[in-house]
Amino acid sequence: MKPLIRRGLALTAATAFVLGLAGCGGSDGPAGDASSVADPVATVELRLYWWGGDARHERTQQAIDAFMAKYPNIKVTGEFSDWSGYWDKLATSTAGGNSPDVVQMDQLYLASYAARDTLTDLGAVSTLDTSQLEPAVLGMGQWGGRQYAMPVSTAAFGLLVNLDVLDQYGVTLPDTEKWNWDDLKAFGLEIAEKSGGAVAGVAPMGNEYSLQLFARQKGDNLFEDDQIAIRPETLAAYFQHALDLAQSGAGPSASRLSETAGLAIDQSDFATGKVAAIFSQVSQVSAYTAGSGANVQIVKTPSFDANQTKYEYFKPGMYWAMSAQTDHPEEAGRLIDFLINDPEAAAILGTERGLPANPAMLDSLTATLTENEAKAVAYSQSLEGLLGDAPAIVPNGASELDKIIARYQQEVLFEQRTALDAANAMIKEVKDSINSAA
Amino acid sequence: MSLLKLQKLALTPKGGQTRSNTRDNKAALVFLGPWLLGSVVLVIGPMAASLYLSFTNYNLLQSPKWVGAGNFARMLTDTRLHHSLEVTFLYVLIGVPLQLGAALGLALLLDRGLRGLTFYRSAFYLPSLLGASVAIAVLWRLIFGGTGLFNTILGLIGIESTTSWIGNPDTALSTIILLHVWTFGSPMVIFLAGLRQIPVEFYEAAQIDGATTFQQFRGITIPLLTPIIFFNLVLAIINSFQAFTQAFIVSAGSGGPSDSTLFYTLYLYQEGFGAFRMGYASAMAWLLVLIVGACTAINFWASKFWVHYED
Amino acid sequence: MVAVVVLALYPIIWMIVSSLRPDGSIFSNPSPAPTTFHWQNYQYGWNALGTPFGRYLLNSAIIVLGAIVGNVITCSMAAYAFARLRFRFQKPAFGFMLLTIMLPIHVMIVPQYILWAKADLVNTFWPLIVPKFLATDAFFTFLMVQFIRGLPKELDEAARIDGAGHGRIFLQILMPLMAPALATTAIFTFIWTWNDFFVQMIYLTDPDKYTAPIALRSFIDAQSHSSYGAMFAMSVVSVIPLLIAFAVGQKYLVRGIATTGLK
Repeated sequence: MKPLIRRGLALTAATAFVLGLAGCGGSDGPAGDASSVADPVATVELRLYWWGGDARHERTQQAIDAFMAKYPNIKVTGEFSDWSGYWDKLATSTAGGNSPDVVQMDQLYLASYAARDTLTDLGAVSTLDTSQLEPAVLGMGQWGGRQYAMPVSTAAFGLLVNLDVLDQYGVTLPDTEKWNWDDLKAFGLEIAEKSGGAVAGVAPMGNEYSLQLFARQKGDNLFEDDQIAIRPETLAAYFQHALDLAQSGAGPSASRLSETAGLAIDQSDFATGKVAAIFSQVSQVSAYTAGSGANVQIVKTPSFDANQTKYEYFKPGMYWAMSAQTDHPEEAGRLIDFLINDPEAAAILGTERGLPANPAMLDSLTATLTENEAKAVAYSQSLEGLLGDAPAIVPNGASELDKIIARYQQEVLFEQRTALDAANAMIKEVKDSINSAA
Repeated sequence: MSLLKLQKLALTPKGGQTRSNTRDNKAALVFLGPWLLGSVVLVIGPMAASLYLSFTNYNLLQSPKWVGAGNFARMLTDTRLHHSLEVTFLYVLIGVPLQLGAALGLALLLDRGLRGLTFYRSAFYLPSLLGASVAIAVLWRLIFGGTGLFNTILGLIGIESTTSWIGNPDTALSTIILLHVWTFGSPMVIFLAGLRQIPVEFYEAAQIDGATTFQQFRGITIPLLTPIIFFNLVLAIINSFQAFTQAFIVSAGSGGPSDSTLFYTLYLYQEGFGAFRMGYASAMAWLLVLIVGACTAINFWASKFWVHYED
Repeated sequence: MVAVVVLALYPIIWMIVSSLRPDGSIFSNPSPAPTTFHWQNYQYGWNALGTPFGRYLLNSAIIVLGAIVGNVITCSMAAYAFARLRFRFQKPAFGFMLLTIMLPIHVMIVPQYILWAKADLVNTFWPLIVPKFLATDAFFTFLMVQFIRGLPKELDEAARIDGAGHGRIFLQILMPLMAPALATTAIFTFIWTWNDFFVQMIYLTDPDKYTAPIALRSFIDAQSHSSYGAMFAMSVVSVIPLLIAFAVGQKYLVRGIATTGLK
């Protein structure tokens, strides 16, 4: 027995040793040392937390380094997770009184965190300048009249069309300035027919942003006074639109849609040329074409009436927020200020988090924008005449909204419910969820 | 309650009093020392906390508010909960026998001194190494998607199919069950270890008595393996009721399409972390404990009819 | 048999081949035949997260090592008590132990996190290792209880007549016979700890302390560009220690009793 255990231990130790060598081989020295040596006068330590992919981790880490070079008395540790792990960990660490000082925030969760007193009112933080953002954009970082989050980026919503696919099958893009939802369906059908089914025409909408816009076209608001306010008929029309696309053949089938639902966007059917057009935040056009290099045009969302205005708005892609548990609100404010307002940070971070919400930062990047990013900027500017007031943000208790929309839409697509039935059930579920959170 | 009663049956040595009534309390305290400390410091507190939370409204970010039996009352009308129970029971009833059957069959084959045993054993275990990785989610879509490998193979044998097995609510659960069966490596290894522990002396003695291979199998292998079969069965049921990772990975956390793979713990997780209803999630957890506890108790009760212990 | 081998080997081969494909073509190609050799995935993946990937492997290895030592020692001790000793509250204790594996981790994690946060040990490896030294993995205790109960009791009694105490019976009689069970415990602890994402993600905050499964997920972002090629490459790299562990560990799945005299 002794030889057994000894051999087992020796083996595991050896494995660990080999792995240890591999670990050291790749770096120039222990990673922990560099920052502490560089910063002998550090008096304040901050933690910055975000979700994202590897490109974001690298750039944000560089921005942190630039910040620490500028403020040698503040030491910042960057922490990162994938999207779903991020929210589990943020909730758990907040529950444990151990929240990071500055956290990346999403509109779905903003009210859920703000309403529960876990965020700091940034309006009261003197080191943070909020004045450089448009009031309408800034307003979408507010809850209960307080500025709980600073928008990092804004995005317009539109339809991305793969022009290469249209060329391939000899389809011409209709006049999208004045088109309506029926025109869109006809467009999708034409693609499907001319490609012999190889390309599904238009993928349907299915998230909070698109539902907001759809509701505003119908004269509804998705939310009012921290409660769901959309009429069942409007929501039913939204679901029906998806069903019509799928059933007529103008869009992907129900099972194809659900099969591809969980894919990252650069692996989606649009990115691989199996769908010719998709609704999206236009700033994601780069990610959608990263794999294929396809020539993509951004066109206006259809409407019900060509003369309709005031329904468009720009949605913050994400925010920086400050935990109420931070011991250093002034320094944390300085960090947010740097990330939002400093051209040095803007140059490092680029458009990885979307087009900067701070117009001055966006201007400073103009020369370096890629072709796709320039398209997104131009498209956003073309919407000026259609812009209305910013809508109410997703209320406390509705943070699962995107998933809820997707679930009911699937039930409609698989004909387990009628559109109106699904609309009523969804409104009830969201209402209950909001009420139970209050 | 019944669980404890049935533990008694399982732990009572067969054939009544085989030993004197002397107790080994002191020795037990030493051997169980770490476990006792762990239970007191790390387990009982959080368990009690979750039990308490099941009677509260707890959103993780603020202090819990007492709501009495409110969470349990909500369960009665929560159709997604009922649906998730249905999905989970189907998964347990189909997945557990299939997986254990495959594992036991292959373990017995492997134990017969096959050439290249090490290779087979490692090969069969591979799926269990990968079973929970993100890569598997991608792979499963490539196999069971509309234009996937599975349909291609069906096409080769003359069955034309364009069904997206993974995207269709009627078939999505089957693909998860298959994924589960495919990771039969863990119970197989446990079976193998059990087979390896059967003393060779038993077989030698049987051979001297002129027993055939089949007689040895029925008279020695199976009875002596019953404690391990029992272990695998109990744990497979407990674990299958808590199935989470595979469905989470394959459906990107949604339990879709349209809730067809909404396992109980996946729903519990969505409620607790997604919707900030940790009180309700805790209540769900304790309902699960009741269900799984009852199944385990039945298992222990039934074990006295077929499980053979050497003590 | 061949069919089963093919079924079992297909994914790992596909994974290796995919790790050599550029990002774009992974999702369109279920074929296990290599078409490209995009080695850049390995180079990029190793360094993409700011810290070399070896660091994450090392962190995983430390946690795994601690977990194995802890589980093998303390779970076997607890198992001996449950299987061979008679003591007060034995049945309730055993029932309670089983109960602990029936509660889903998702409702335990927050109270446990609060405990570790109070002890100021979040962002260390202790919350991941200490529980294993306190036999909280009831799976393994129960596993070894079943193994010990399958061992002939005459062995213990013969030793007892020779004047051996519980310590000696446990260490010198039973432990050698339990080689298959101990090896199983070690292998499973290795694999499950190595692959465990959720608990490690919750407790470790500083990227320098991240483990391999956390790092693997950091390549994927649903909302922007994802580096699938790099993720696959690093997945292959992180499977290698598992393969080694399994290949070595399974050698101990031997017929333990054959090597000892039972006269």
